[in-house]
Amino acid sequence: MSKPTKRFASRPEWVGLGVMVLLAVGVVALAAEWVTGATAIGLLAVLIVAVVAIIWTAIMGGLETRRALAPYGLLKPGILWLSLFFLAPLWAMFEMSLSSKKSRFDFFPKFSWDWSNYGKALTDFAPQFERSFIYAAIATLLTLIIGYPLAYVIAFRGGKYRTTLLGLVAVPFFTSYLIRTLAWQNLLADSGPFVSILKTVKLENVMEWLHIMDNGRLINTPAAVIGGLTYNFLPFMILPIYVSLEKIDVRLVDASMDLYTTATGAFRRVVLPLSMPGIFAGSLLVFIPAAGDFVNAKFLGSPETTMIGSSIQDQFLVQLNYPLAAAMSFVLMAVITASVLIYAKFMGTEDLA
Amino acid sequence: MGARNNMPAWRGPNYSRRDFLVRSGLVGAGALSLPALLAACGGGSTANTTPGGSNTLFFENWPGYMDDKTVGLFMKETGIDMKYTEAFNDNNEYFAKIQPALSKGDKIAPDMIAPTFWMASRLIQLGWVQKLDHASIPNFVNLRDDLKDPSWDKGNVYNLPYQTGIAGIAYNQKVTGRELKSVEDLFDPAFKGKIGVLTEMRDTIGLLLMAEGKDITKVSTFDQASSAFDRLEKAKADGQIRSFTGNDYIDDLAAGNFAACVGWSGDVLQLGKDNPDVKFIVPEEGGTSWYDTMVWVKGSENGDSVSKWMNFLYEPANAARLTSFVQYMSPVKGVREELVKLGGNSAALAENPLLFPDDATIKKLQTWGALSETEEAKFDERFASIAGA
Amino acid sequence: MTAAHDKKQKWGRGVINGVAAATMLYLFAPIVVIVVFSFNNPKGKFNIVWNGFTLKNWAHPFSQPELTDALVVSLKVAFISTLIATLLGTCIALALSRYKFKGSGAVNLFLVLPLTSPEVVLGSSLATLFLSRGVSFGMVTVIIAHVMFQVSFVAVTLRARIRGFDWSLEQAALDLGASPRRAFWKVTFPLILPGILAAALLSFALSIDDFIITFFNAGSLVTFPLQIFGASRVAIPAQINVLATMLLMGSISIMVGGLIIESRRNRLNNGSEAKG
Repeated sequence: MSKPTKRFASRPEWVGLGVMVLLAVGVVALAAEWVTGATAIGLLAVLIVAVVAIIWTAIMGGLETRRALAPYGLLKPGILWLSLFFLAPLWAMFEMSLSSKKSRFDFFPKFSWDWSNYGKALTDFAPQFERSFIYAAIATLLTLIIGYPLAYVIAFRGGKYRTTLLGLVAVPFFTSYLIRTLAWQNLLADSGPFVSILKTVKLENVMEWLHIMDNGRLINTPAAVIGGLTYNFLPFMILPIYVSLEKIDVRLVDASMDLYTTATGAFRRVVLPLSMPGIFAGSLLVFIPAAGDFVNAKFLGSPETTMIGSSIQDQFLVQLNYPLAAAMSFVLMAVITASVLIYAKFMGTEDLA
Repeated sequence: MGARNNMPAWRGPNYSRRDFLVRSGLVGAGALSLPALLAACGGGSTANTTPGGSNTLFFENWPGYMDDKTVGLFMKETGIDMKYTEAFNDNNEYFAKIQPALSKGDKIAPDMIAPTFWMASRLIQLGWVQKLDHASIPNFVNLRDDLKDPSWDKGNVYNLPYQTGIAGIAYNQKVTGRELKSVEDLFDPAFKGKIGVLTEMRDTIGLLLMAEGKDITKVSTFDQASSAFDRLEKAKADGQIRSFTGNDYIDDLAAGNFAACVGWSGDVLQLGKDNPDVKFIVPEEGGTSWYDTMVWVKGSENGDSVSKWMNFLYEPANAARLTSFVQYMSPVKGVREELVKLGGNSAALAENPLLFPDDATIKKLQTWGALSETEEAKFDERFASIAGA
Repeated sequence: MTAAHDKKQKWGRGVINGVAAATMLYLFAPIVVIVVFSFNNPKGKFNIVWNGFTLKNWAHPFSQPELTDALVVSLKVAFISTLIATLLGTCIALALSRYKFKGSGAVNLFLVLPLTSPEVVLGSSLATLFLSRGVSFGMVTVIIAHVMFQVSFVAVTLRARIRGFDWSLEQAALDLGASPRRAFWKVTFPLILPGILAAALLSFALSIDDFIITFFNAGSLVTFPLQIFGASRVAIPAQINVLATMLLMGSISIMVGGLIIESRRNRLNNGSEAKG
């Protein structure tokens, strides 16, 4: 056994990487049933042999080998979990999106290259897709506009209360998401405080003109849904911006003040560019969950404001049309993954933490 | 990833969970004792199963549908260990929840559930419920005659009604500023954006069809009902209708977000305690009457307990106690007399026209007939597209 | 700089501070509603209209057995899934921050993907896999689902926290003759433990509060958010507000505790720095 061990040991990192990829792909293959029957058992055997081989290598190899293999050993359990319960499900969903049902109560749709699900998803549910992306985009913009000043104040003027203030931002989000949204239902109700304040100060007409109010009501309007999304995802904007602002050296800002003489100039040319990574990360972290959300549309919206998340949920859990729900999910996933990949290409994945 | 000779089929009952877990779990375990295996070993149906033996009963019901004494009294009288939950929120959603298990021939946790009549009919067609043992339910004789022998379950072989009610119009008089009488009031431009309708398709569409003068007991195809769907869609597009709701219309009605909506009699009676402005009427064109059933789920072995429970609940005294809490119409004969005996608020209920409607009201009520699978699909699809889900 | 200029700057400062303060208020508006309505005394089953002050909801916070059961289920799920996820996620974070290795870029991207997928996609795709392979829904499927997004979360947050970690400390221990295992447990682990705990706590909170993914994979299991969703359509007992306020106070006190410990440590560090 010493010869192959040596051969392994000469390039242990390749072996480690190879086995990890093999395991990940193998697990997905088994769970997604790309292979079945005897082939599956064969693949299983190959995977087990690979694992045994790498453990053997680690034991027999020297410290160097073990060091080279260590990261892969640490990664493997997590990677396998994600392969099994994140990648394999995506495949299962893709397959489901091309399946068709024989009848309404056929609960086991058959794979049949049925592209019509995608046609239906894109035509029948075009308004929902459109709405989701528009609402999410507006909510992202709003979180930026109201989140940035807060992050800025905490980072530059928080002094020793920085951590406390940051903690305060997080506090509301330790209550249940649903309960928070239900509380907004109370606040925005026709007989609730917001409407009566607006009526007292006679701002209804302005609000109607801004299309925030519709027929004297705040709730069950697009504005209410967007407001709910903005509220619920605001910390995802504030925190990354804060992190990027915190890194900025105050002396740099002082120096730039001297250079550009005005605070706005210093802000525009120094602070803003340096906080761009935070803005980008925050935008992704707000846009993505907002685009797929259905809770806000359900509690604060009307039939004219349903988003794609509600449609997917309805097709999956109420109409039991799994293939159509899968096709809609897949389209949503594809659009968002494409934007994340473009983002990662330019910004890297570091700032999404 | 290799060429695939045969397309993987979406597996049916012949394929067990075990295969999946053995294949995937073992790989994980082999790799580095993946806790997946731990989770998998603990697997199985983790739905809260009641302990074995026939002396138990698990009844899953709609929320807010049981007083706090009945279950305890039943357990005391029969010695049956009963578990009672209220996770039945919506017929379609509940169906989706139990479908994966029942379609495979597996058991679900509850022994007895409370689907609305049309869902009970679907469950019977799919063979997912068991025949009741009428011999051990002598109180069956107390079932109201008008609820006996529905077309989809002749002789009540599978179902006994739990509660019955009326769908009509609920309104908040503080907002409307006037009394309402007709379905047409829902389309009054003065209430634009303050109208709600139920996501329960049969109740919403039923009212609209009756407003057109149609007899919903005889509607069996989509074409007969399409005009009502068109009207609904137009009202939604015009902004007349604010939202489609389940039981939560109550919130909107109480908060004044709705001026009026399609609603259920019992809910409104309960809410009336809090808010006297909220009222319920059976529109002059007519209202739909519906009922929720009790059915014994396939795979459950607690048939004895199910029979005992049904018999217990069909005892007029017990039924009356339930009625005084849920305030829906009881399917049991003799409840009115028992309510009078209870005295106080309960006795007042005996005089309530929504619980014990007079003959004129009863004449205005209609119940949907059975729809075939394909026709029902058309109804549901069109309704879902209007409701915008 | 001129006085006018100074004034203008001060004014601008005031505006920004004002906006920040308003944002804080906005963040807390619904929280106030939740807490206030936990003292409401509704006549019927609907905690919607203010109907007078009472302490009875607080006197009997667990009088709604379904709600309490659901909370217990949620705590159980969160506990188990956080344990698994913290273990797996910490391993990944260690691998990523401590070693330079082939494929780390791809692993990074792979880790971020679950965090950047909409929850409705994660939930429905996992449910599709379970459905098509005949896995029964229940606590196990919910735990699997939670671990799935928690692993990524723990790994990514922990990696960010220990990015600046000085690995030479461990090397020093090794040079002094400690075994690698001992060096890790005696030197590295205590130093990264606060980071691990913080990541675990946050992912615990994520699990407790998850609604969308759980909704797809729960079958007949009822977690706290699912119970609230169910209740929101029928009757909202004031106990929901009481339990929510309790959860809120619990997490605030954990956070305040953490802050105190941290500030104390900072003071110690600063003190030693000043001395040195």
